[in-house]
Amino acid sequence: MANPAPASSRGIAITEHRLANGLRVVLSEDHLTPVAAVCLWYDVGSRHEVKGRTGLAHLFEHLMFQGSANVSNNGHFELVQGAGGSLNGTTSFERTNYFETMPAHQLELALWLEADRMGSLLVALDETSMENQRDVVKNERRQRYDNVPYGTAFEKLTALSFPDGHPYHHTPIGSMADLDAATLEDARAFFRTYYAPNNAVLSVVGDIDPEQTVAWVEKYFGSIPGHDGKQPPRSGELPATIGRELREPVHEDVPSRALMAAYRLPHDGTREADAADLALTILGSGESSRLYNRLVRRDRTAVAAGFGLLRLAGAPSLGWLDVKTSGDATIAQIDAAVDEELARFAAEGPTAAELERAQAQIEREWLDRLTTVAGRADELCRYAVLFGDPKLLNDALPKVLDVTAEEVQAVAQARLHPDNRAVLVYEPTTADDTDDTDDDTATDASQEGAAV
Amino acid sequence: MSTDHAPAMTFHPQPRPGTPSPWAFPAPERASLGNGITVLHCHRPGQQLVAVEVLLDVPLAAEPEGLDGVAAILARALNEGTDTLSAEEFAAELERAGATLDAHADHPCIRVSLEVPASRLQRGLSLLADALRAPALPEDEIERLVANRLDEIVHEQANPARRAAKALYAELFDAADRLSRPRSGTADTVKSIDRAAVKAFYDAHVRPATSTVVVVGDLTGTDLPALLESTLGTWTGSAAEASVHAPVTGDDHGRVVIVDRPGSVQTQLLIGRIGPDRHDPVWAAQILGTYCLGGTLTSRLDRVLREEKGYTYGVRSFAQPLRSAADGSGRSLLAISGSVDTASTAPALEDTWKILRLLAAEGLTDAERDEAVQFLVGVAPLKYETAGSVAGTLADQVEQHLADDYQAEVYRQLAELPTAAATEAVVAAFPPDRLVTVLVGDAAAIAEDVRALGIGEVTVVS
Repeated sequence: MANPAPASSRGIAITEHRLANGLRVVLSEDHLTPVAAVCLWYDVGSRHEVKGRTGLAHLFEHLMFQGSANVSNNGHFELVQGAGGSLNGTTSFERTNYFETMPAHQLELALWLEADRMGSLLVALDETSMENQRDVVKNERRQRYDNVPYGTAFEKLTALSFPDGHPYHHTPIGSMADLDAATLEDARAFFRTYYAPNNAVLSVVGDIDPEQTVAWVEKYFGSIPGHDGKQPPRSGELPATIGRELREPVHEDVPSRALMAAYRLPHDGTREADAADLALTILGSGESSRLYNRLVRRDRTAVAAGFGLLRLAGAPSLGWLDVKTSGDATIAQIDAAVDEELARFAAEGPTAAELERAQAQIEREWLDRLTTVAGRADELCRYAVLFGDPKLLNDALPKVLDVTAEEVQAVAQARLHPDNRAVLVYEPTTADDTDDTDDDTATDASQEGAAV
Repeated sequence: MSTDHAPAMTFHPQPRPGTPSPWAFPAPERASLGNGITVLHCHRPGQQLVAVEVLLDVPLAAEPEGLDGVAAILARALNEGTDTLSAEEFAAELERAGATLDAHADHPCIRVSLEVPASRLQRGLSLLADALRAPALPEDEIERLVANRLDEIVHEQANPARRAAKALYAELFDAADRLSRPRSGTADTVKSIDRAAVKAFYDAHVRPATSTVVVVGDLTGTDLPALLESTLGTWTGSAAEASVHAPVTGDDHGRVVIVDRPGSVQTQLLIGRIGPDRHDPVWAAQILGTYCLGGTLTSRLDRVLREEKGYTYGVRSFAQPLRSAADGSGRSLLAISGSVDTASTAPALEDTWKILRLLAAEGLTDAERDEAVQFLVGVAPLKYETAGSVAGTLADQVEQHLADDYQAEVYRQLAELPTAAATEAVVAAFPPDRLVTVLVGDAAAIAEDVRALGIGEVTVVS
C-alpha cells in the first residue's frame, strides 16, 4: 500500500451504563499503563448563559474547585495531586468538563471527589470563594486576552459572526462588567439548574476493572437526585450562509497588520463538516497548504497564514483564517490573494495528492488525541453529550477518510467565499494614538475554552 | 447555610487507595550506527505515534561573531528541501506521511523532532535523514526565513512574557556570554544572515559523528537497527570532538528592572537568578522545594497570591537548565513567573518577599513535603504516557550530559528526601536579597510603589 494507514482505525472497546438518576457512564479498558482517566462533561456551556451574565459558566467552573460537603476549599486539588494525579476543568460554548487522570489504584478517590461536588457543592459555596475566584477569573481574562496583542480577536470575530442575541454571540470568558455583576445567588441558581446527574456524562478510561468501576460509580453517584430544572439553550440555528461580508476595522497597538476571518460552516457531526475540515486543511494547515505556499512562500506578504476549524454542534461551525502580514504588505494584497486562492479551489477542487495529505494529517491528529487515556475519555464524553452516542468515536476517522474530492469541492463552493464571512482587519496604531480602546470583550484564542 | 442547600445524597468516607502498580521510568537501549551516530531507543507498547529526537552538537556559543540567530535559521532551513525535493515538495511529503518535523536551536544544541505514525516510520526516517544529510538550504527560502524572523522579533517585542525573558537574560548574564542575548538573534544580527553563512555553519558543525538520535514508540515488528542504517546511516561526515561549554558568568545581586509597557492592564513578573548545574546533588531536593514554593495552585505562592488575594491567574516557580556539563560547571535559571493586575503589582511583590522570608525562617512542613513527593513521583506514569514525553526527557538527558538512568534516579531520591533537605534547597535557591526582578508593565503606574518596597535598586527601561 502506497500510504499504509496507522493501526488507529481498529477502534477502542466501549461499554455504556446508565444509573437510575440519569447519569450516563462510559467505560473503556486499556491496561498498557497503570493509569485511569476520569472525565465528567456537564451539558452546559456559555451558550446557556443569559444577557448580563456572560462568563458565568466559566466562573462557576472555578467555584467547583472551592470545596463541597466533605472536601475543603482547594481540597480537590490537594487530594488529587497528593494521590499523584493531575486535574483541571475547562469551559467552552457547548459544555463544561472536569477531569482527573490518576494512578490506577487511586481511581476511586477521583470518583468520590466528583460525586461530592456534584451532590453537595452548595454546602461549601460562600461569598469568600465567589469574590476570590471573580478576581482570579478577571486576571485570567487580562492575562490571556486583554494584555496580549490580538488577544481579543476571537471575542470580536465571534461577536461579528453570530448576531446579537444568538447564544454563541459571546465567548466563554465573558465580559468584565458581567463578571463584576455575577452574584452568589446567580452561582447557586446555575448549580441548581445545570449540575445534575441527568445532565452529565462520566467516562472512565484506562487500567480499570469495569465491574468494580461501575460499582463505585453506583455507590458514590447513585444517591444524587436527578432533576429536570434545566433550560434548553436558545436555538443556535442560522441560515446556511451569511449572505454578505461583515467587516470590522480594529485600530490597536499591535505589531503588524492582520486579517482574521470566520467563515460560516456546517454543524459538527455532519459529513459536510468533515468535508469542510479537509478543505481548510488543504487550504491552510501546514507548510504545504495553498495559502502558506501563496502568502508566505511566494508572495512573501505574510509571516503566518493558516486556517482552523472551530467545530460547533449547536450552531454553525466556524472556519478560522488568521493572516499576519510581513513587512509593509497591505491588507488589500492579502485580501486579493486569499480570494483568488479560495475561488481557484472552489473552481478546481482538491488534487488527489492534496486530499491524501489532508487525510493523513487529520489521521495523525486523531492518533495524537487518542494516544492518552485522558484524550480518549474526553472524546467519549464529547460524542455522548453532543451526539448522543459515545461509540460514534470509532466511526469518526473512517468517516473523514471516506470523504471524496467532489464533496470537498462542494463545501468550498457553497461556503468559502467572501459573502459568507466575518472579517477583522487590524491596523496598528502608533504609540501616541491612545483613544478608541474597546475593553469590554475577549475570548479564547485556543478555541478550547477557559481552563481553571 | 440553610436547609435550602442541604444535599439529599448519601455520603461515604473518603476511599483508601488500592495497591499501586509498579512503574519505573523507561530505560533506553543504546547502539551506534556505522557512521558514528549514537542511538537511544525505547519500545513503548501501544504508542502508535513514534517520537524521534535528533540532537545536533551545535551550541549557540559556536555562532560566529555578529551572526546571532544563524543556528535558528539553519534549524528552520532543515525543513526547506533536500537534494531531491524542493521546499514545497518536502513539506508535502512529510504531510503525506502524516508526520511533523520541527527543529529549533537552543544554547546546548539544535534539536530536530520527528513525529510519525509507526506504520510510516520508514518514510519519516528517510525524510529526516535527507534533511540532515543533504539539506538544500535554498537561497530564496533562507531570505524568506530571515525576513520572517525579523517580523517575528517585532511580535515578540509586543508579548509581555517574551519581553520579560529577554530583559532578564540580558540583565543576569555577562554581556560576553551568549546566554545574555536572544536565542534567535536580534534584528541587527539576523539582517546579516544569508545562505553562505548558513551553509558555512552547517558544514562546520553538523555531522553524524557528534549527533544522537532517540527513537521511542511502539516498535513491534520493526527491525530498528536495519531501518536506521538504511536511513540515517547513509549520512556521512568527518570525525569531530564533542563541543565543550564555557562556564556561565553572570551577576544576580538583587535589583529591579521595569520594562515600560504603557497602558498594560497587567504586570508580567519574572524574578530570577542563576542556579546550579543539573548535575549538582541538590537537584532532586531543589525540585521538591521549588514545587512546594510554586509548583501548583495549592503551593505557597498561589495559596496567597491567587487563592487568598486574587492578584493573579497563577504564579509558578521553576528551575530550567541552561548549559550543563559533566563536571557540574553548567548553570540553570531559577525563577518565579506570572502576571498580576497592574494595581496589585507592589502588593503581590510584597507578599512574594514575605512568603520567601517566612519559608527561610520556618521551613516547609512535613505535610507539604509528603503531598509534593506523592504528586511528583505518583504523576510520573501519566507524565510519561506518550512516546513524545519519554523521548523528550531522554533527549534532555543526552543534551545535558546526564546518565540514561538520571530521571529514574531522581524519582528514587525524591521518594526518600527528608523535609529539611527540601527546605534547605529551596531557601538556597530563592534568597530574597539575590533576586533580579523584571517587571513588564506600565511604569508610570507601578514604579513608585515598587521603589518603596526596598527589594533592590529600580531601573526603568523602554
